[in-house]
Amino acid sequence: MIFFAVYKTEDKSTGDAELVFLIAGGDKKAMKTLVDRYKKRAFYLALGMVGNKDEAFDISQEAFIRVFKSAARFERGHEFFPWFYSIVVNLCKDCLARRKNKEAREMNLDDAAYLLVADSNPEDAVIKEELSRDVQQALMELDFEDREIIMLKHFKDLSYDEIAALLKIPKGTVMSRLYYARKKLVKRLARYV
Amino acid sequence: MSENNINVLLSGYIDGELTPQERQDFENRLKSDPELQKELEKFNKLKEITGAMKYADIPDSVWEGYWASVYKRMERGIGWILMSLSAVLFLAVGCYYLFLDFFLNPEISIVLKIAVGAGLLGLIVMLVSLIREHLFAYNRDRYREVKR
Repeated sequence: MIFFAVYKTEDKSTGDAELVFLIAGGDKKAMKTLVDRYKKRAFYLALGMVGNKDEAFDISQEAFIRVFKSAARFERGHEFFPWFYSIVVNLCKDCLARRKNKEAREMNLDDAAYLLVADSNPEDAVIKEELSRDVQQALMELDFEDREIIMLKHFKDLSYDEIAALLKIPKGTVMSRLYYARKKLVKRLARYV
Repeated sequence: MSENNINVLLSGYIDGELTPQERQDFENRLKSDPELQKELEKFNKLKEITGAMKYADIPDSVWEGYWASVYKRMERGIGWILMSLSAVLFLAVGCYYLFLDFFLNPEISIVLKIAVGAGLLGLIVMLVSLIREHLFAYNRDRYREVKR
């Protein structure tokens, strides 16, 4: 248990899976190392999925707590990130399901300062801010699966092999899901493309 | 290759994920298909737009407090588990002594026993009804998504 944690983990090169096993044994420092290693990825992943900064923080922190609670069930030989990814994604789905309807989903879009921002120079900052808002809005209107694959390709720049491994689908399915998701996004952003 | 398959290759084409054969097939089709050329243009534009965007950086001060917040939540989680365990134990022991010292006590009037028993039974019925209602609502929730 966390109160009786033994400080064993200092080595930054310790693998993720090894850290999870240390966490299962109550190693608080291992937990901190894992949190420091993945906090930004978890947060930005959640932000892309739910479009709200506060909820994204909440989801990312809850994901780490789930890791802590279920570390003992993590199987040796498996990679940590796909497991962690599915925890974050499920929490995002739960969060969106709680919002219940599309209108609420759109209303929950966060302040633009924390959402997508274009690399802008001052002259066209206003135009780019509007574009950012429209892109974020269009993304939030997509189905979860479409948004997810767009996020992984366009904003995380993962290869098809990496996406296939993460989503546990064949590479051909990645290509086709990406095609249809892009088609929908292009339709929503017709005034820009 | 079917029309649909060729279109799907468009994504692989702009991402550089096609095999040489697929690329050849796609480019052959592209030369003679103005609709496909238009779609390629749109997809490239979309990639250009999103490629010029990134998420705003969160201030370092926020990240500094992140671990402390996770830790607090973990501690509270453990606190809740212990408190729940304690509540269940208290309830079980309470019920045991209530039964032993109250319901089986011949000195207490039968009317009082019936009153307390009916009150407790009512409480249990209401609790079961509430739980059933929540379960019913949960099962019919169309937004309850399947976990991956």
